[in-house]
Amino acid sequence: VLNRRCVEAAVMTGLALHCHINKKSLFDRKHYFYADLPAGYQITQQRVPIAVNGSLSYSLCIGNKMSQMVTKTVRIKQIQLEQDSGKSLHDDTRSQTLVDLNRAGVGLMELVMEPDMCCGEEAAAAVRELQLILQTLGSSQAVMAEGQLRVDANVSVHHPGEPYGVRTEVKNINSIRFLAKAVDYEIQRQIKELGNGGTILNETRAFDSKLGCTVPMRDKEGKQDYRFMPEPNLPPLILYDAKSLPANMNHQQVINIDWIHERLPDLPSVKREKLVEQYGILPEHSFTLLNENGLAEFFESVVKQTQMKPKKVIGWILNDLLSYLKQHSLTVKESPVSSFLLADLLNLLEKKEISSTAAKQVLAELWKGEGKTPLETVKEQKLELLQDQKELEQICQAVIDGQENEVIVMVLG
Amino acid sequence: QKVSLEVLDHLEHLALVDFRDLEGVERLQKAIQFADQLHEVNTDGVEPMDSVLEDRWCLYLREDYVTEGNCTKELLENARETVEEYFVAPPG
Repeated sequence: VLNRRCVEAAVMTGLALHCHINKKSLFDRKHYFYADLPAGYQITQQRVPIAVNGSLSYSLCIGNKMSQMVTKTVRIKQIQLEQDSGKSLHDDTRSQTLVDLNRAGVGLMELVMEPDMCCGEEAAAAVRELQLILQTLGSSQAVMAEGQLRVDANVSVHHPGEPYGVRTEVKNINSIRFLAKAVDYEIQRQIKELGNGGTILNETRAFDSKLGCTVPMRDKEGKQDYRFMPEPNLPPLILYDAKSLPANMNHQQVINIDWIHERLPDLPSVKREKLVEQYGILPEHSFTLLNENGLAEFFESVVKQTQMKPKKVIGWILNDLLSYLKQHSLTVKESPVSSFLLADLLNLLEKKEISSTAAKQVLAELWKGEGKTPLETVKEQKLELLQDQKELEQICQAVIDGQENEVIVMVLG
Repeated sequence: QKVSLEVLDHLEHLALVDFRDLEGVERLQKAIQFADQLHEVNTDGVEPMDSVLEDRWCLYLREDYVTEGNCTKELLENARETVEEYFVAPPG
């Protein structure tokens, strides 16, 4: 039986990726034998998937500077609904495979992309943006390490102007970093192989993260014949829109594409634009804000609670707060300094009650998370800026008197 | 058209069936011939049928609530061999 939430998630994702949603899509059986596929077949959408012909836009930094970003696009061939298999753990020492069937039968969305990317960096950037989109939509938490998002990379090489070469499929990629490594390694391996007069086999390879290379997978023999046939137990999936909505159907059984479209949240690219427009920060700042879970919200919270201009606040967020969190491997949620505390500190700075150097000192103290307020810390460490003009003059005069020689040298130029 | 040994081997491997003897192969041959009669119908411009129920066959969409489960023990009893809640299968 098909789960309604799966269909909604697929439609949302399809719409977010500018796909054409097929109002009628079909289910098929894909047959093969494997220990983690107890039924001997997997239900998928081979003939007519739920969504087709979309695109995913992502950004890349050219060179080392973050300030030069370029936008690229990868076409989405299709999105299909299918069943998950169980999870296999290979125990080579005892010559056995352990199978966990907990996730068998659970619904999956498979996204197929066209070969529009040319290196590991592009693949990584595209998948990262996809991850953010999926998380924003709520379709998936998309954490690769937990198998919530799985990526198989298909890699081929060819000379410019010539047709695409034979491709290999690389599996067992468990993070975005490894995705870039695996793709780049495979590109180099294929170039080397062809350079030596060899050929590329249309095979499946596994990425070995320890060695940083791809190795052939032992269990794939020749071309698989999946004997696709229509799934006899699932009739076509019919989706509706505002125009085609049936009058007399049970509300719970109807999925309205337009209704879902109206309720799509702001996608990451839109959120970034809004941040730049609203706060006057740079585009690359908006990328960093969205790249860290909770950071954008933290920034906006601080801005609300302080008189300091957002353009100045962003520096404190990206340079001070973020680097501290990174150093201590903390998430924004785990920050010992709350947005309230930081705003409080920035207000002291803004009112010129302390200097910027003093502010950094106070911040260092606040990281300890001992519960002191910025004002308490300022008083404790006597970091207040002297506001009294007379007192300042006296001090300056004393310094000048003490350094008379230097002063004369300076004045003479 | 006869079914070649190559196709036979391929089918046996894919479906894990054993055609056993010549009689089995002949029966297979006749079954294919019978099914081939479908080709005699001209289906140009006709949409493939999903079911004789046509529009009345609606796909039931289930709500996303967990209604059953927590039966690990019973499920594992189905297997001859288990290791710490995993089913055991041959390697590869």
